[in-house]
Amino acid sequence: MRINDRVFGMLMLILAVVYGWEATKFPIPFGGHESVGPETFPIMLSIILGISAIYLMVRPDEDEPWAPVGMLIELGVVVLSMLAFAWAIEPIGFMPAAALVVSFLSWRMGASIARSVITGVTSSVVIFFLFNNVLELALPLGLLEF
Amino acid sequence: MDTMSLLMQGFAVALTPESIMFAVIGAILGTLIGALPGLGPANGVAILIPLAFSLGLSPTSSLILLTSVYAGAMYGGRISSILLNIPGDEPAMMTCLDGYPMAVKGKAAEALAISAIASFFGSFIATIGLVILAPILAKFALKFGPSEYFALFALAFATLGGITGKNQFKTLMAAAIGLMIATVGIDISTGVQRFTYNTLELFEGVDFIIAIVGLFAISELLFFLERHAGDGLKQVAINKLKLSPKDIIKVLPASFRGAVLGFVAGVLPGAGASLGSFISYTLEKRVSDKGEFGKGDPRGVAAPEAGNNGAASGALVPMLTLGVPGSGTTAVLLAMLISLNISPGPMLFQQNADLVWGVIAAMFVGNLVLLLLNIPMVGIFVKLLSIPPKYLMPVVTLIASVGIYSVSHSALDLYFMVGFGVLGYIFRKVDIPLVPIILGMLLGPEMEKSLRHALVLSDGDWGVLFNSGLSIGLWTVAILGLVLPIIIGPIVRAKMKRSKDTVKDS
Repeated sequence: MRINDRVFGMLMLILAVVYGWEATKFPIPFGGHESVGPETFPIMLSIILGISAIYLMVRPDEDEPWAPVGMLIELGVVVLSMLAFAWAIEPIGFMPAAALVVSFLSWRMGASIARSVITGVTSSVVIFFLFNNVLELALPLGLLEF
Repeated sequence: MDTMSLLMQGFAVALTPESIMFAVIGAILGTLIGALPGLGPANGVAILIPLAFSLGLSPTSSLILLTSVYAGAMYGGRISSILLNIPGDEPAMMTCLDGYPMAVKGKAAEALAISAIASFFGSFIATIGLVILAPILAKFALKFGPSEYFALFALAFATLGGITGKNQFKTLMAAAIGLMIATVGIDISTGVQRFTYNTLELFEGVDFIIAIVGLFAISELLFFLERHAGDGLKQVAINKLKLSPKDIIKVLPASFRGAVLGFVAGVLPGAGASLGSFISYTLEKRVSDKGEFGKGDPRGVAAPEAGNNGAASGALVPMLTLGVPGSGTTAVLLAMLISLNISPGPMLFQQNADLVWGVIAAMFVGNLVLLLLNIPMVGIFVKLLSIPPKYLMPVVTLIASVGIYSVSHSALDLYFMVGFGVLGYIFRKVDIPLVPIILGMLLGPEMEKSLRHALVLSDGDWGVLFNSGLSIGLWTVAILGLVLPIIIGPIVRAKMKRSKDTVKDS
């Protein structure tokens, strides 16, 4: 199958066209028009991207197989867990958020539940104290603040 | 003689207790990073940049730290090549060929020691080469005008795929994507907003450090998950070291040849460390093979290791003197320089002479530290190597996120990091190389600036880009760099594969 490159090439071609078209609509900079405006370089780039995208669609490489759907969903969940960690770091605090996300990741990578919790808790506590006390970079305490 | 006195001043900087401390820390971290499979040097340096940045280290200290990490990673790569038959990074591939058979024969400790000595030689000789060549190249580069610089940037992208690159159009595409990301934000010379869609966070553009960490570290985590590689691999047991001075003398010529070849390969655009170690190995095989290569000949360990480390130091020459990195890791080091507000290039040697020479001197110091560290303490690194990735990768991801978070204390940066991680995963799936993307983000602003300068000076005449002998020369090399791999690439790759296969069969 050579579908990956064709689809990706298609997407990149769309990006090239949209990007190049947007560039032509930049407002004329204060002080009048010069030989090279803010749009010159982007237009060059969109041409290069366009050409290589077309090449990719015409002569695609062999596909690297995608993971099965189940694995893709799992990867999606992992990505969401990292986003959740990013969101939680301030309201909930670094230590609980980090402990949760590290335990979860290491469990998903195949560690037993008990061991992943140990990894998560120790690493987050150690990193918190290392950063706050040794390196003096404040990380939010969140719920643990009182 | 001028160079000597500058180098001595450099040693005055590099031998302060603070610098030595950073060199030691960097060497240890680097060896670890290089040794752990899946955490290549570019990745490791990328994770450490935001940390060095938010700790507020001085430019000299952070550069010493990160170049030591860089050198250490090259040392570390050999450990997993020898013990696991899995290269810690791509250049260490050739070390597998004779290193692993040596380890199987119960000579793991000797293989590790010989490769450490060869690495030391490789870096040492190449650093001397750097001392000699860099000032000359920097002086020469002062002649460059904006149109030459524009051609030079084009050359950097064209040759980035390297001789071994698979699909040149994918390299080109990746470069274009990176450059496009770099155009987001307020245009420096006109103040026009480009592709910001009035989002305040995008006015200053996309932070390349966040992009680098996302593209490398987060996508690596996703790949580990997908491959169920969490359990790690079985390694060969390590024996007691028995190494006589005679054994060392036997590998010295091999190390020397490897170092010189590696250095040349590192300096040349598009060659890089992988090719450096490959050429060193093949030459050594041709010169001194008596049927022992591929079955655990110590010289087959020494040559590629020296070549690989020589190339790593050689790659710093174009990065420091021209501001054009030739490899992924030097691109990440360039990111460090730019974020410290130091613009590399010929002026660096004049304006920041103490910094440059301090770093070069620190490379000598770091190299010695690495040698001392790697022979007696290799057992400790081997122990750490046996920690399965299922515990290690989540912690590394956490450290990477903390680094990004502490730069500006915003969760938004972390969202961006994860987003780039997903992008990196997709790019790697469709075989789009990541390094040109990063290089595009780094060089984009400078490249556009040189184009503008050139065209403003010539009043809009595009012919100015090709009007000097120098720029025509650069363009020629660029075009050759883009076209040659299409012809030669398959041959070289087949050769590399064949030499690997013959080892597997025997």
